[in-house]
Amino acid sequence: MTAAATAAELAEFRVSVRDWCRTHVPAGWRQAQTGASEAEYVSFQRAWFAELRAAGFAVPHWPAEWGGGMSAAEQVVLYSELAAADAPRLILPFVAIHHAASTLLAAGTPGQCERHLPAILAGELWVQGFSEPEAGSDLASLRTSARREGDGYVVNGQKLWASGGQYADWCLLLARTDVAAPKRRGISYFLLDMRSPGVEVRPIKQATGESHFGEIFLTDVLIPAGNLIGPENGGWQVAQATLGAERGMTMLELAERLGNAGFRRLVAACSRPGPGGTRAIDDGLVQDRLAAFETEIAGFRSLCRTLVEDHDAGRSGPADASIAKLFYSELLQRLTDFGTQIGGLAAQAEMCKPASAGWESGAWALDFIGSWEWTIPGGTSEIQRTIIGERGLLLPREPASG
Amino acid sequence: MTERAVSDQAGEQAEIRAELRAVARDLLGGSGAGVDWQQLAGADWLGLEVAADLGGAGATFAEVAVIAEEFGRAAARGPYLSAVVLSVGVLNALEPNEHRDRLLGEIAAGTCVPAAVLGSGDCPGTVCTGTGHMGTGRIGKGQAPPFRLEQAADGPLLHGAASFLPGVVEASPLLLIATGPDGRPVVVSADPGTRGLGRAGQPVLDATRSLGVVRAAGVLVRPDCIWPFAGDGQASLQRLADRAAVAVACDSLGLSEAMLAATVGYARVREQFGRPIGSFQAVKHACADMLVQIRIARELVTEAVARVADPGCPGDEVSVAASMAKSFAGEAAVGIAGKAMQLHGGIGYTWESGIHVYLKRAMLDRELFGSPAAHRRRLAARYA
Repeated sequence: MTAAATAAELAEFRVSVRDWCRTHVPAGWRQAQTGASEAEYVSFQRAWFAELRAAGFAVPHWPAEWGGGMSAAEQVVLYSELAAADAPRLILPFVAIHHAASTLLAAGTPGQCERHLPAILAGELWVQGFSEPEAGSDLASLRTSARREGDGYVVNGQKLWASGGQYADWCLLLARTDVAAPKRRGISYFLLDMRSPGVEVRPIKQATGESHFGEIFLTDVLIPAGNLIGPENGGWQVAQATLGAERGMTMLELAERLGNAGFRRLVAACSRPGPGGTRAIDDGLVQDRLAAFETEIAGFRSLCRTLVEDHDAGRSGPADASIAKLFYSELLQRLTDFGTQIGGLAAQAEMCKPASAGWESGAWALDFIGSWEWTIPGGTSEIQRTIIGERGLLLPREPASG
Repeated sequence: MTERAVSDQAGEQAEIRAELRAVARDLLGGSGAGVDWQQLAGADWLGLEVAADLGGAGATFAEVAVIAEEFGRAAARGPYLSAVVLSVGVLNALEPNEHRDRLLGEIAAGTCVPAAVLGSGDCPGTVCTGTGHMGTGRIGKGQAPPFRLEQAADGPLLHGAASFLPGVVEASPLLLIATGPDGRPVVVSADPGTRGLGRAGQPVLDATRSLGVVRAAGVLVRPDCIWPFAGDGQASLQRLADRAAVAVACDSLGLSEAMLAATVGYARVREQFGRPIGSFQAVKHACADMLVQIRIARELVTEAVARVADPGCPGDEVSVAASMAKSFAGEAAVGIAGKAMQLHGGIGYTWESGIHVYLKRAMLDRELFGSPAAHRRRLAARYA
């Protein structure tokens, strides 16, 4: 399909995606994924990725030459239909198809793209090695070092909050190559093969009880110079340029999730008779909260579409990605908190949520706890507000050190 | 029309609205200023939605919404809401007749300033009640108009009362929505001097607005002053109530942006502890929250305006978007104006700073033509 699809073509595309969902979204996947083992989760994710790939839906945001090429308008249709059909989410290959791909496409050499993009489409998994124990919100103060030695770099340090680290084949690694330079000028960006000697991954058990994250210990790990991406000491700039690059469309996908199956599930939860036979939805206060959530979701879905259009038209605002991330994170937290209260004590007894589901899986208490996975990583809500204030509203910067 | 032509036309309309906005900012000034009605007529703002052959600009509600938003930004006085947004909306929904057509022309020219009365400002027609099902997406049908016509020996007599009505104290004629003797809604054009028709001002905290009550105790109405709606009158009433709510949401949005701009401007220059207060996270983050609220409000208002302006949009879809825009933008504006007062510190609490003008206007907007709770009740009626 061409980049400028007509309204009729879009409508036709919508019907075809809807038909595809009807025949390809695995029936009963939620039940099957509830309480699933790690192995079952991983194999289900791989199978779903393969289904999407076969349909041309796995990497719609990539350029056509690499297997994507879908227009923004078509992606909006695709994601809204997948959400309406309550399809599983792609979680395992998320960093690979979004962060790794956008970094390679923006800063990679033709050889690096050739090496990795087809491999990602074939299932190569990636992890992001940015944060460290002493470099969270102040990411630029990271200490992991990469010392030039012969035709490569020797890396030592520790990375934290590496999502999906235990499954990753490759890592997007930020490491310091010049300790004397100002902190943002001495960082380089590497592609690290996770099978390299000296790489050790330890899972971290998080508040929900799951272990999506890990620590990565790097001891005298050798990275060939050919796996440097972007210029030496220019890694911070590469990371800045690619961090928000794909955020628009991923936020749109999450907005559609929230607005379709997510809100339906919340209304259904409110409509279920509780102990004593009363229904929450008959309470005016509950109705008021639901209507307020529906309104915020509608505004957010519309905002995401606007941001995607603005991005395509080259008129993105400097704080747009932060505005969307901040609003979504906090809306998700309030909404899942509300669902938890609607669920009452029964929600406290729901011990696992369906794997491969969205952030509003319907296991509300666990979803609520999981919502901090949005307000903290990827730039905390506090950092987002600072970005919005300084880049969006041009307020004076905080006097900073370094 | 081809896709290209549609897209060109959309671009052209956006350009027209951008220009309208720029001129409006120039003309309206700020902080509760009065406006020169003849100047508005000269700028073609009064007849934006009046057909070109009646002396208007033949534009749409989307252009009217731009002016409504700029009125909010400037906290401008004047009967734009009652005489233009409501009255022209009502008159355009009627079967054409000679009186109506002349009145539309006079509104556009600025020589006649009427006020339309849909229902009490705190309970306008369709917003107050709602029953329906999510499955059908129905929005509940609302209350009866506040006035009714009764067939008497001498002719039709008008009864009823409504309160918190924008612009009625200074307006002539009054365009009162009434239930006709046959149960169908009609518009009664009434001269405020008519025997039995009373009106009085209702002072409110928002000094930029003029509200009043209208009472009719058996007012004898000339038959040629009773005008029927074109098509389904009930549907027209619902759309008019939604229009009114969306116009107020535009006002809320405009004043929210004005308050954020004022606050950011102040926070950049006001120094305490040896640095601009805007460099403190507590202040900066509060401003960021104001911007985020405004961005969401703008999306909801834009969608609601587009649906009101589209005559092909089903009434229930207009109502859903209107209720979302009105409830969110109205509530956000009070929060934003309140935060603006807070971040301006002591100076913000003074009469002279003018922040209170915006806060009071935001508070009135929040309640006018359906409170946030009333609008959410209407949305929630679809869930049951």
